Amino acid sequence: MKTRGERQTLFVWMLIIATIIIGYYGRDLAKLLDARWLIKFPSAWVIRFNVEISAAMKWLVEDAAIGPISFTDVTRGIAWLIEQPYQLSLALLADGFIVGQGAEAVPVLPAISWIVVTTAVIALGQYCRDWGLAALVGACFLYLAVFGQWDSAMVTLASVIIAVPIGAGGGLLLGIWAYRHPVGERILSPILDLMQTIPIFAYLVPILFMFGFGPVSALVATIIYATPPMVRITTLALKSVDPEILDFGRMVGTTRRQLTWRVLVPSSSQTLMVGVNQVIMLTLNMVIIASMIGAGGLGFDVLAALRRLDIGAGFEAGIAIVVLAIAVDRLSQAFAERIGHIDRPVTGSWVSRHKRTTLVGVLLLLTWVLGQFSPLLLKYPESQTITTGVFWNDTVKYLNVNYFDALEALKIFFLTWFLLPIKKVMLGIPWPLAIVLLSLLGWRAGGWKLALLCLGLSGLIAVSGLWAKAMVTVYLCGASVILATVIGIPLGVLAALNRHAGTAINLFIDTLQTLPSFVYLIPVVMLFRVGDFTAMIAIVLYALAPAVRYAAHGVRSVSKDLIEAGQVSGCTRWQLLRHIRLPMALPQILLGLNQTIMLALSMLVITALVGTRDLGQEVYIALTKADTGRGLVAGLAIAFIAIIADRLLKAGARNARIRFGLES
Amino acid sequence: MRSSSMKPKAKLSCSDVWKLYGADSETFLKNRASPGGEDLERAGLVGAVRNVSLDISEGEIFVIMGLSGSGKSTLVRCLSRLIEPTGGEVLFDGVDLLRASERELIEIRRHKMGMVFQHFALLPHLSVLQNVMFPLTVQAVGKVEAEEKARDVVELVGLKGREGNFPRELSGGQQQRVGIARSLVTEPDLWFLDEPFSALDPLIRREMQDEFLSLQARLHKTIVFITHDFDEAVRLADRIAIMKDGEVIQIATPEVLVMNPATDYVAEFTRHIPRSKVLTVAGLMKPELKGKGVPVAASDRISNVAKHIIASDEPLPVADETGRIIGSVDRVTVAGTLFESGKTQ
Amino acid sequence: MRTARLGALTLSLMTSVSMAWAVESTDPIKLTLHDWSGQLINTKIMGNILKEAGYNVEYVQADYIAQFAGLKNGDLHLAMEIWETTGREALDEATGTGKVVNVGETGLMAIEEWWYPSYMKDRCPGLPNWEALKDCAEEFSTAETAPYGRYVGGPVTWGGFDEERVEALELDFEVVHAGTDAALFAELESAYQREDPIMLWVYVPHWAPAKYDGEFVEFPPYSAECYADPSVGVNPDLAYDCGKPRGPIWKAAWSGLKEKWPGAYDVIEAYNISNEEMSAMVGKVDLEGVDIDTVVADWMKTNKDRWSGWITQ
Repeated sequence: MKTRGERQTLFVWMLIIATIIIGYYGRDLAKLLDARWLIKFPSAWVIRFNVEISAAMKWLVEDAAIGPISFTDVTRGIAWLIEQPYQLSLALLADGFIVGQGAEAVPVLPAISWIVVTTAVIALGQYCRDWGLAALVGACFLYLAVFGQWDSAMVTLASVIIAVPIGAGGGLLLGIWAYRHPVGERILSPILDLMQTIPIFAYLVPILFMFGFGPVSALVATIIYATPPMVRITTLALKSVDPEILDFGRMVGTTRRQLTWRVLVPSSSQTLMVGVNQVIMLTLNMVIIASMIGAGGLGFDVLAALRRLDIGAGFEAGIAIVVLAIAVDRLSQAFAERIGHIDRPVTGSWVSRHKRTTLVGVLLLLTWVLGQFSPLLLKYPESQTITTGVFWNDTVKYLNVNYFDALEALKIFFLTWFLLPIKKVMLGIPWPLAIVLLSLLGWRAGGWKLALLCLGLSGLIAVSGLWAKAMVTVYLCGASVILATVIGIPLGVLAALNRHAGTAINLFIDTLQTLPSFVYLIPVVMLFRVGDFTAMIAIVLYALAPAVRYAAHGVRSVSKDLIEAGQVSGCTRWQLLRHIRLPMALPQILLGLNQTIMLALSMLVITALVGTRDLGQEVYIALTKADTGRGLVAGLAIAFIAIIADRLLKAGARNARIRFGLES
Repeated sequence: MRSSSMKPKAKLSCSDVWKLYGADSETFLKNRASPGGEDLERAGLVGAVRNVSLDISEGEIFVIMGLSGSGKSTLVRCLSRLIEPTGGEVLFDGVDLLRASERELIEIRRHKMGMVFQHFALLPHLSVLQNVMFPLTVQAVGKVEAEEKARDVVELVGLKGREGNFPRELSGGQQQRVGIARSLVTEPDLWFLDEPFSALDPLIRREMQDEFLSLQARLHKTIVFITHDFDEAVRLADRIAIMKDGEVIQIATPEVLVMNPATDYVAEFTRHIPRSKVLTVAGLMKPELKGKGVPVAASDRISNVAKHIIASDEPLPVADETGRIIGSVDRVTVAGTLFESGKTQ
Repeated sequence: MRTARLGALTLSLMTSVSMAWAVESTDPIKLTLHDWSGQLINTKIMGNILKEAGYNVEYVQADYIAQFAGLKNGDLHLAMEIWETTGREALDEATGTGKVVNVGETGLMAIEEWWYPSYMKDRCPGLPNWEALKDCAEEFSTAETAPYGRYVGGPVTWGGFDEERVEALELDFEVVHAGTDAALFAELESAYQREDPIMLWVYVPHWAPAKYDGEFVEFPPYSAECYADPSVGVNPDLAYDCGKPRGPIWKAAWSGLKEKWPGAYDVIEAYNISNEEMSAMVGKVDLEGVDIDTVVADWMKTNKDRWSGWITQ
């Protein structure tokens, strides 16, 4: 006898399999029935959202006003506010202070010397943790100087220094607001979903309209992209503050403000720093795209190098981004741990209490004064820089000349047996069937609310006329996610079970995540030519990280008791893995899958640059045609796909947790 | 201070307090005077606190005892209005707490209430001294004054020299001392302790109980003490309220609880408690004024004076608080109680 | 480049050249920079000339198409390379609003066409005549496209009507679109290293023809009628039976520029440079690794008479 639930599950599975079969023969079927509308959404039913959105955006930018203050005045005011600290940090780190303009410009004070900056980060590293960290960050910054990346890196750092506090601070405030007002959370949550899933290219044009051309728009775009995790983590962190601490705060008679700022925020500072860390990483992720609209710096170097096919130079600039990310990331983490400690009061003069600050200050003055005589003190000499560019160019060339045929065979194999069948199915599934299936899955996983959501969002994609492109998107992302999972989970398990492998895998994953995908996209094009396979490789490389991390985390956090119980019952290592570790890690692995899908979708816009024909390309076309509506509609379609996948998987993970008794 | 015989005015009293969880619980409660468990179940509500009325006297140690899920924590949070009760009345010094405005409530909590928590609830980013100063900082008391007061209470709980440490550097017992110091720094009248010792090791727990008693002997606070440990309740309480499923089953002195449990449930708790630890001399005393030698106090627990009584060939005189001889107690009765074979039931 | 202004602007005496325009605004003229060397050189030369003329200049990094938003509202003032072939649509849209003006040709002429490396001539002897492709399409095939030849076109946004051309000229080619020109030339680099067959969309001015040995396919010459009218051209039934159009590279400016800096506007209008000069400079930068600023300074030195003439015109 099967229970009702089991029968339902069986039914859903059969439906999925039937859909796949129908999809595979979809085109023939449609031809046979003479019903092409089944696989191609009738254009007569398409609602032209893009025209409306364009018009609305035009109105907003050109005509919207409250009294004498127009909408653009407000946005330009914000831009001005962001610009001031940005100019200051840029002058300090990169350009120096200059009075006057053009031919009359007189440099007043040069930018802070590379020696001082490097000393300062070393001192900070030592202050925050120990000499080990100091050595690491020192080496990172020396790398930037020695490899000739200093100037660009400082331009990038200047924007990171501005974007991160705004993103983290704004995220904190929004998160607190959402924590205090449950309604606020309900309003904010879908907005955050959209902020995270709509590709940035989709709203680049309106941002440029609103905030003007130049680095500020790039900063705004970066902030929009990097803030959502901070908001979520803040709300989560505040919610997970020990209820006793909350009670304590109220019992000593704190006002709401005191409760928030003196009890809740400090006691969740560790978790909040995870959010800050995320903001930093995402900010550095945005470096390339930001450079397209005026941020300059390392991102621009990568783009320019690749436009002239100088793979080595692009790679070096890309590695410089990674190095900068590592330095800033480790420093911020150590700093977070450090703020937990309060020093025992030290007596003595100001100088003896602030040795590091004094040292850096003295060095700064020295380099500024003596720098007038010896430029070496201000700028790392160009003649002393080294480059590995030739090496990278030669490596790619060697691979290309010697292994192209083997790689080609591999590619053909994957295309024939993996990619093309999936593509055929996806494009062949009749859209009404797909919508029904999604709704059913939603109903099964999360009840009628989720079913309605799936129905609504997939329906909207259909009526926006982007069904076919959405299906190509699903196909490309789906195939990449499958591959990323197949590669990522074993890697994650290995990382969890073997400490050395874990260290190596983590470094690899970190690098993949911060290295701008553009850097490896072009060599991949050289080895695999333009096409879906190349796009898939790029997506897999980028989206691998969460699959690995969550699998590792899931396997690591399986309760020790269970493992011991397994050992006592005589499980072999393999059986332990198969019957205890993996099943118990399943909820985490599902969450990792969820993140993998999100990252895969966010790579779409980048893969459009190597010639895919999906929603990413639609967004990209809209960008190059400055068509706000078209870009936003395509961007929203991507976001909808992401939201459907996210909700279904989260519901699935929740069900799994309930089944294992990890949640009620 | 064992003053169950007297009837001083109530410091904190509550009547008909309800806390129901579920949709429209307030309307539900308004429409029914006193719903039973079945009514609640039918309405899909959970009754965390059901129809509780208590009077806690000034200077009394009032213990609320119950197993986990019995509603004791919810009740104490209703009494301090950390949780908004669904219905009822809570009077503190004659003021209805449930009617107090946000502002008034903050003032009351700042000056008149203190609370100690099961898991200490120390702020991890502050040092011992800063943690203890915190309630004063919140009130914007001057730094010098706050620090002075904080140092005093830190010394009172025996942590002098640890002021600069951080909570994570302290043992559990030490952390709870910080929690106690912190709750006392504002010199509150009413002191809530929510299972303060249950997270500690048994040995430390005992030590802390003793210190708690000696502290109270000096401070004379009105205390609401939550515990799930009946031994602890018996050791500390002037009176005990036993809770089950959100209801208070019995409120009585430890002695009465043991001697006259109201229900089988209560009896089950008291069964393994040695009578000698609960019974006072007054309970075994005979009214004849015939004892010889140094008198024992009527309020002493048998276990504390048994050795003394058994060592004496003659019955010993029993004195009340004022020192007046009110009866005598003999070794046979005491021995009977010690071996649980007496006529105690 | 970026200037942090400390306090008020210092008022100073203008140099002799700038006296003439002393009445004009001292605000910086903002020129847009993109990410290819030719455009950077072009823009920096223009900027240097404007500086010599006494104007303040600021360079702003901007996306090729997105920059029109800035040109329209006056955030940006001058874009030095709008290609007839890829930017015409956006330019027309922008000038249509009246907020952007076309300041005329730069003198550079964009050529875009099918291109192949010289070694392919051995395998397909009739080249560069397009008719040779009819017989040796298979020489250009890959496993994925065989027996058809593979032609790597530009990003779909570049247009180009290559699918139509293949059909009209009855060529056995499959058109594959690269997403960006970086991907396009990555394909070329890859094939060239292996001497593998390749046919792709190349445009000049660009460094590629200088780096790789090869030539453009000679299609029947472009005419507007050939694109518009099926009956014109080799194939009487289909349009696009000819090569791609060639077109100038335009300068585009914010319409307020003429009022705010009338002298500068004249200089910009006079500015003119040739394909040969530009190709040489691009080659120096992209192939020899010479710094852009050095190349620009050299040009400024050797062409002093020319640009002085534009200023005093």
